[in-house]
Formats: sequence, C-alpha cells, structure tokens
Amino acid sequence: MAQPHPVSAEPLLDAALIAAWQRGDEQAATELVGRHARALARFLAGAGAPEADLDDLVQETFIRAFRSMDRFRGQCQFRTWLLTIGGNVLKDHGRRASRRKVMPLDEAVRDGGGDPHELAEAREAEARLAAGLQELPRLQREVFLLRAQQGFDYEEIAVALATTPGAARVHYHHAVRRLKDLIGGKL
Amino acid sequence: MNDDARLQDIAKRLGARAAERLDVDQMARAVVEGLREQPAARPSWIQAPWLRIAAALVILVGGALLARQLAPSRDEGHAVAHLVTDDLRDLSADQLRQVLNTLDEALESGRTAPSDSTLDDLDEQLLRAVLRSLEG
Repeated sequence: MAQPHPVSAEPLLDAALIAAWQRGDEQAATELVGRHARALARFLAGAGAPEADLDDLVQETFIRAFRSMDRFRGQCQFRTWLLTIGGNVLKDHGRRASRRKVMPLDEAVRDGGGDPHELAEAREAEARLAAGLQELPRLQREVFLLRAQQGFDYEEIAVALATTPGAARVHYHHAVRRLKDLIGGKL
Repeated sequence: MNDDARLQDIAKRLGARAAERLDVDQMARAVVEGLREQPAARPSWIQAPWLRIAAALVILVGGALLARQLAPSRDEGHAVAHLVTDDLRDLSADQLRQVLNTLDEALESGRTAPSDSTLDDLDEQLLRAVLRSLEG
C-alpha cells in the first residue's frame, strides 16, 4: 500500500487525489468521499432516491466509481462524473425496488427550526418538485438537477451525459416547462 | 421572484436535509471497507465463457459464408443461359441453321469417335464439321 498523500496547506485537486487513490492511497479515497458525498446525496435525493436507502446508494455509487476510475480521464469534473454514476446506481436500484418513495410531507415538516408555517410551505414546494421530477424522463431529470441543483454549465453536463451542450440546454428547458406545467400554479 | 428563479431556488434546497443527515466520515470508512472487501473485478470474464461463445459465433458465421460461396448459385446458371439466348437472338435464320448443323455434326462425331481418338482418326466430313465449329 502506498504512503498517504503529503499534507499541504493547499487542498489537493481531485485529479491529484484520484492519482493517489490509483497508486493505492486509501486516504485519498476518504478525502474524495468527504468532498463529494453530500452533493451526491442531494442529487440522489432530488432524483427520487428513498431517504431510507440514501446511505446505501451513496456508498454503492462511490464504490462503483472507484472501481471504474480507470475510465475517468478528466473529460469533466470528478463530481459530474460521480453524479452520472449515481444516476445509474439509482436506476438499477429502481429496477430492484420498482417503487419510488417521495418523502412524506409530515416527515419533512417534523424537523428543522424557523417559522413553522414558512418551513411547511417550503417543504411542501420541495415535495411537489420532487414529485414533478419523477414525471420527467430520466435525461431531463438529470440535466435539470445537474443545472438547477448542482449549478453545472451546459458544457460540463453535455460531457458527463455524452450529449451536446445544445441538447443539454434543450433538455433543461423542456424539464423546466414540464415542471411548471406540473406544479407551476403551486410554486 | 419569477417561476424560473423559484424553481431553481427549490431545486437547490432539494435533498439538502437528507444530505445533512449523512455521516460523511462513516460513509468514507464504509466505502474504503467496501473496496477492501470486494476488490475490483478484473475482466477475467473475457477469457472464459464469453470468449468461447465469440469463437463459436465466428466459426458459425464464417462456415455459413464459406458454404454460401462454394454452393453453386442458381442465379449464376440462369444468367449464363440468359446471355446465350441474347446472342442467339442476334443471328439470322441461315446462321442459326448453321449453328444447329454444327451442333448435330459435333454430337454425331462425339458418338462415333471414342474419347482417345485423334484427328487422324476422323474422315474428311468430320474434319470439316470440326473446322466449321471452330470457325464459329
């Protein structure tokens, strides 16, 4: 097993951590998980992952990503690539479970601080968006989440999803229009 | 705030609470453990049954192609007959009669002359018939 990567004041780039992991540095894997786990969990939850299965899905996505790391050639950001693997993991999970659970509103409202009424309204809107996203084709859903939730630009999304920036833009606009149709009046 | 901006705002919050509940350190440990316990599967599957299936397919397809090439083609025979018909159609009545005579004589000579016979064995009439057939 190789030595852990040297500690430095400058945070290592993902590429350096990936290279370190490929040399057998487990600490590099730990660091990569730390950097991207929450973003991945948000993406998966937004894409319809049942909350009860979220930990397992995040773990499975990372394991799948680390195992196929030799196929990642820096064509896009590591996070974008990871999220697309997460989409595949979720799809496989959906096939197995064949049912998707949107977090019930009462569960969503139960925790958290702030004005209970505002909180309830915000979470109701989230639940509606989550339900609306389930009505979209997978590609539209993923493009929407990568753009609106994760903030990636169309070029980055296009590389990750093996499409063109123009097509990614069209998918995004279709998704927005469809979501507005589905939940627009209640936004 | 318009609908687009509101939609983006909600999307940014989507899944945030679920993600906050995630124990990242524990997740990192679980991932590393998982990678240790189940090392990456090498592409050994290429060597075993898939390779055999691929080889069998190549043999089957190759054999079928070879058999198809070696088998006499009905279309080919038909095409030759078609060409001969076209040639005959261009001949005049006299020329056709001449061809028929030549054929008759050639068949007759084939019947009378054994396969090991030479030109010396042919009489004048047969020689003339052969020469005429060679002239076309």
